[in-house]
Amino acid sequence: MNGVAVGVFVFLFLLVTILGFAAARWRRAKDMGSLDEWGLGGRGFGTFIAWFLIGGDIYTAYTFIAVPATLYAGSAVGFFAVPYTIVVYPLIFLFLPRLWSVSHRHGYVTPADFVEGRYDSRPLALAVAVTGILATMPYIALQLVGMQVVLEVMGIGSEDDNWFVKDLPLFIAFAVLAAYTYSSGLRAPALIAFVKDTLIYLVIIVAVLYLPHELGGWGNIFDTVSKGFGDFNTENADAIAAGEATPKAIMPPETLHLAYGSLALGSALALFMYPHSITGVLSTRSRSVIRRNASLLPAYSFLLGLLALLGFVAIAAGVKVANPQQAVPQLFENEFPAWFAGVAYAAIVIGALVPAAIMSIAAANLWTRNIYRAFINRDATHAQEARQAKVVSLLVKFGALVFVLALSKDFAINLQLLGGVWILQTLPAIVAGLYTRWFHRWALLAGWAVGMAYGTWLAYGVASPTQSHFGGPLVLLPWSDTTKVYIAVLAFGLNLLVAIVLTVVLRAANVSAGTDRTRADDYTADFGDEGVQAELDPDVVAR
Amino acid sequence: MSSSARWTIVVVLLAPAVVLPLLVGIYDRTDPELWGFPFYYWFQFLLIPVAAVLTTSAYLLTRSERPPRTRAEKADDPAETIR
Repeated sequence: MNGVAVGVFVFLFLLVTILGFAAARWRRAKDMGSLDEWGLGGRGFGTFIAWFLIGGDIYTAYTFIAVPATLYAGSAVGFFAVPYTIVVYPLIFLFLPRLWSVSHRHGYVTPADFVEGRYDSRPLALAVAVTGILATMPYIALQLVGMQVVLEVMGIGSEDDNWFVKDLPLFIAFAVLAAYTYSSGLRAPALIAFVKDTLIYLVIIVAVLYLPHELGGWGNIFDTVSKGFGDFNTENADAIAAGEATPKAIMPPETLHLAYGSLALGSALALFMYPHSITGVLSTRSRSVIRRNASLLPAYSFLLGLLALLGFVAIAAGVKVANPQQAVPQLFENEFPAWFAGVAYAAIVIGALVPAAIMSIAAANLWTRNIYRAFINRDATHAQEARQAKVVSLLVKFGALVFVLALSKDFAINLQLLGGVWILQTLPAIVAGLYTRWFHRWALLAGWAVGMAYGTWLAYGVASPTQSHFGGPLVLLPWSDTTKVYIAVLAFGLNLLVAIVLTVVLRAANVSAGTDRTRADDYTADFGDEGVQAELDPDVVAR
Repeated sequence: MSSSARWTIVVVLLAPAVVLPLLVGIYDRTDPELWGFPFYYWFQFLLIPVAAVLTTSAYLLTRSERPPRTRAEKADDPAETIR
């Protein structure tokens, strides 16, 4: 443990803690007692704030730890994170303004609210909400894993066998996060995101300029890495042939091209189905804020790509760690002066706090609107909704904490993998619903169920050298011996097929399709149109 | 420009940003290198500003889409042609 590094880290952590609590007063509305205020920050964020907030959503601490870790471990497939974050923005540009419009005109807070209004189906809305919560929980847990890795490298925490004592610093960090999320709602992560991104940009820019210079340039780094991978493959040729080890490479082999592309596309489609990204988008002021951001957010993709390559830099710098996730923090520890290592640790940990806060808010919104109000208290007032959501946001975070500390970390990673597969199964109901009412509500529900079951079953059957189940996101393409593909995309294909076939059948049988409460022009309404509320704060009285 | 023509252009502009990154076969090689980066890596980095320029053009195109309008006016998204 280095005193200077820890001191800098603690200072920056205290700074964001103060910001988090102060956020309750930022752009303050007269009445915070509604979900629009607590859960969507007043729905009035402009381009600048939204850029930080949505960026904070997508580029999480776990991404910063896990993506370079895959490259460090010798799998070039991990670099799919870059095409994934390229593909996602045109999709956001096309689809999400329509969701924004219909949500603003009808006061929808969650994607499940929209599905309920569009298809008049509480079971379908419940399916979307439950999927969202299930997929978000392990995602929050993984933010903790990211923090834990940094704390381990810093040497904070004792060697005690008791999991509570050992991870006390993590516990404290999370309790602080929970407290200011409770009091400030979405305003807290929105404000902290500024600090987070400033630090991350600083660290990455320094890292990618300074480290390659120290290590003889990028050419030398790539040469060292490919030579190292070549040696590994020669030494382990027998194990690789027997399937007990995976060959390493700096580029994916041809059999993994489809895997690379389908991981990028599947993750991009899944990303904006996640409740937390929809929460970020719905908190914006107008349609053009979303579109403008879709053209500005790729700046982060550049950052992510450079960060991913730090996995290779760590190899070239001779970093040796048993857990690849420690590669980047260990690289900082070895190569940076202590005070700057402290800044880098703080950047990653604060990078975990922002998405964890937004995710817990999104999960709480889903619970409150689509389970509590839909099934438990149908006449809930705005104040009751806000209170319910605040308490649930605490429970969600506490659950994630116990999950990671008391149960297994691998279990959380497996669930996160499944979460990506699951959340994609809500796409037909949400995205198709933005364009057409052709699909039948029961067909969508059946397609969802089939996609969930098939995806889970496929993931269960994937073995890796270290695990016999949930060993990875890829399976062999049906009728192929070598080509692999992302499970979520396969399950999504079957989901869509079932939904189409059953829609034809149910329509032919004249089964009631329910009443659509939205209208064609709801999907293009913008700020200033009739029924689209103006910014709710700072001076306008909440509803 | 009619709104459907505008939306056709938007989709044509955005299509390469979605399709190019997914075609691994077109950039799966080492040469030519740039500043020590294999082609595979620098090409994907290059796609980021390309996609950003395309999305920005699409944004500028849609920004002029609407003077304030009334509810009765027809919508401007391609969706309405699908319905």
